[in-house]
Amino acid sequence: MHTRSPMLLAVALALPGSAAAQLSRAALVKQSDIIFIGTVTQVHAVAVPEVPASDRTIVVRIDQVLEKPAAVALTPGDSVTVQTVRPGSLKPGTQATFYTTGWIFGRGVAVREVGHELGHSPVVAADQQEAVARARHEVNDAELRAHIRTAAMVVAGRVEQVRPAELTPAPARPKRITEHDPDWQEAIIAVQDAIKGAQAGDRVVVRFPGSSDVAWVGTPRFAVGQEATFLLHKDSTTGSPFAMVAGQSVPAYTALHQVDVLSKADALRVRALIRKP
Amino acid sequence: MHAKMIAAAVALFVACERPVDQAPPAKLAGVRVVDLIPASLSGETWQDAEPFLALYASNTKLMAASAFTPNPGGSASATAPIYVSDDGGDSWTLRNTLPSQAMTADITHAVGGNPPVLYAGIMKVPGFPLNELKTSDFLSVATMTLQSSRPDIDQPFVRTTDVANADRVYIGLNDFDAPEGRTATVDVSHNGGATYTSRRIETRNTMGQNGPSVRPAVAQDHTVYVAYFGWRSNTGSDVTSDVVVVRDDSGATGATPFRHLLDPSDHLPGRLVATHVTIPWSNAATLGQERIGSTLSIAVDALHSDNVYLAWADRVGTGDIYTVHVRRSTDRGATWSGDLRTLTNATDASLAVSTNGTVGLLYQQVTGSGGTSRWVTRLEQSRDGFATHQDVVLATVPATTPTFQFLPYIGDYNYLLTRGNQFLGIFSANNTPDSTNFPQGVVYQRRVDFPTHRLLDGAGAPVAVSIDPFFFSAPVLP
Repeated sequence: MHTRSPMLLAVALALPGSAAAQLSRAALVKQSDIIFIGTVTQVHAVAVPEVPASDRTIVVRIDQVLEKPAAVALTPGDSVTVQTVRPGSLKPGTQATFYTTGWIFGRGVAVREVGHELGHSPVVAADQQEAVARARHEVNDAELRAHIRTAAMVVAGRVEQVRPAELTPAPARPKRITEHDPDWQEAIIAVQDAIKGAQAGDRVVVRFPGSSDVAWVGTPRFAVGQEATFLLHKDSTTGSPFAMVAGQSVPAYTALHQVDVLSKADALRVRALIRKP
Repeated sequence: MHAKMIAAAVALFVACERPVDQAPPAKLAGVRVVDLIPASLSGETWQDAEPFLALYASNTKLMAASAFTPNPGGSASATAPIYVSDDGGDSWTLRNTLPSQAMTADITHAVGGNPPVLYAGIMKVPGFPLNELKTSDFLSVATMTLQSSRPDIDQPFVRTTDVANADRVYIGLNDFDAPEGRTATVDVSHNGGATYTSRRIETRNTMGQNGPSVRPAVAQDHTVYVAYFGWRSNTGSDVTSDVVVVRDDSGATGATPFRHLLDPSDHLPGRLVATHVTIPWSNAATLGQERIGSTLSIAVDALHSDNVYLAWADRVGTGDIYTVHVRRSTDRGATWSGDLRTLTNATDASLAVSTNGTVGLLYQQVTGSGGTSRWVTRLEQSRDGFATHQDVVLATVPATTPTFQFLPYIGDYNYLLTRGNQFLGIFSANNTPDSTNFPQGVVYQRRVDFPTHRLLDGAGAPVAVSIDPFFFSAPVLP
């Protein structure tokens, strides 16, 4: 049973310089994409030949992977090369939780240390797993709050219609033919739950790229009948800030970031984050 | 008249390849095919399309490669990766050194002279501005240095030449801010990228812009050829285009470069190699899940700059989707042959001419139809202007799997180079570890199980089939 508050989980971490020494676990997690518990086996050494050895490189045996991208092959028992923040900061036999970013991917993985958290050997893996997961949740919430703050409108609603966007190009900028053309589309969303900047029953125009081009991969798309929670930003991308609905000129919006479109159930989470001081 | 048209149609039909009926050629000794995805990324399932390759002349072991491969760290990463090899292409590592969020929206690159410098032209994410980049040590993990940037361009295509005191860099691109809709442009630097000058190479009226592909090729005597599409008009998504080649005989160092090759029809710079061809501009899955409309390649014999080859793709209109044409000039672009090769339903043609004059042609062609259709990647070589040629199948993979994640599916281009007695190139294809898909053999760095044709992640769990970049080398015909 883990009932400690996130504040109590903030720990002093081994980082260079006093200013960074009190970074919260959440701050470390935010900067990291590969997090693991490991034991230092060699210093001034590397695990794979494609990485140059230096006084900052150490070899760490993975005890437990806490977070990693799905593509990365990393399992307990693997040896990884870690470029430490500070030379000589870790000795052979030391066990720690390593907060890192990917550096070189070859026959093995080499990572750059963001920071580490010394463990009392053996580190209780389950506790660390939960602590890191909680920190990641904090990071995700903070990112979502930032998006909510910058959004002009936050609504839960249903996509009623999708149509090609009718943009008004500036006279000096004719439409260009390029494979990266976003092929702007417009979704008409019926607002069911007005969370910020709108009223229930409003009809809102949201522009999104219809193109399959690589430049727009990962950008949210809309389909008729789709129900979701939308974080909407005034359209400053297409160069045409207004759209037509029922014969009326209305502001157009975009939702181009992945967190701009959440599940309908996430409306509760969004409301809670807005209320949070 | 009617009989002549029928005869012409029959002749054209005969001249075209009939890919469905062709049996794969035998295995050729000395060919290597290597999947670039490293072992430590065995779990990746991304569509690593549109590959490109750069070679270091001063160290044959060093190579750089790229594809639409994202930073494994995720979409919020501030950098995008390139692949590097320090053992001549046998193994590759991924390093995040490009200043672009997770991935680029276009990238090509080339190596300068001595000391070896890697130049890259990318469309940066987000916003997609052109970034002209440089690093003096591509094995370094430092982010490449930005030399120049501007918005509203497409398909930067980087070539370099080795000059005693400073590298010359030529970046072909489609510059939407060029005046009068004459957008075909070459950014030229004579000082190792410290400064660039945008040279407009279109001298005729366009439909408002040129096509996206603007491809330079440089010979050792500093002759620079550039091929581009002169888009003249369009009906819907079909563009009527000229295929144009310009030339500069002194490395584009003059005040009005790329004016040395005039067309006899109007005496304007830019030889019209083909006129009024139909470019089917399709930004949707059209040919084996790939989009089409910008295939263009030019290669010059580095030691004999009179000798230049050109390949482009258009729609002939005989039921084809997209057809590659290859032509040759032996008089510095003044006159051109007819089609030496006509390849139906093919794309991503890439040409290179070796030091002994052998021309290499890399292309990717859809054979068969429906669920049994395949992407076949071939390298052809010829010593006699394609009167005869050697044909090597590098890969023959299903064209319907995996389903595309985005476009391009395998790439708007791939790349072929030559060094010494080798052709070296790169292409993207379905990565199923099945030996029958790779008639020349294939080496995977990522974890695979050939007997079961499965990709495996680090823990041994199955991984979905995806598109990977493949490096290859093949001996030049003697």
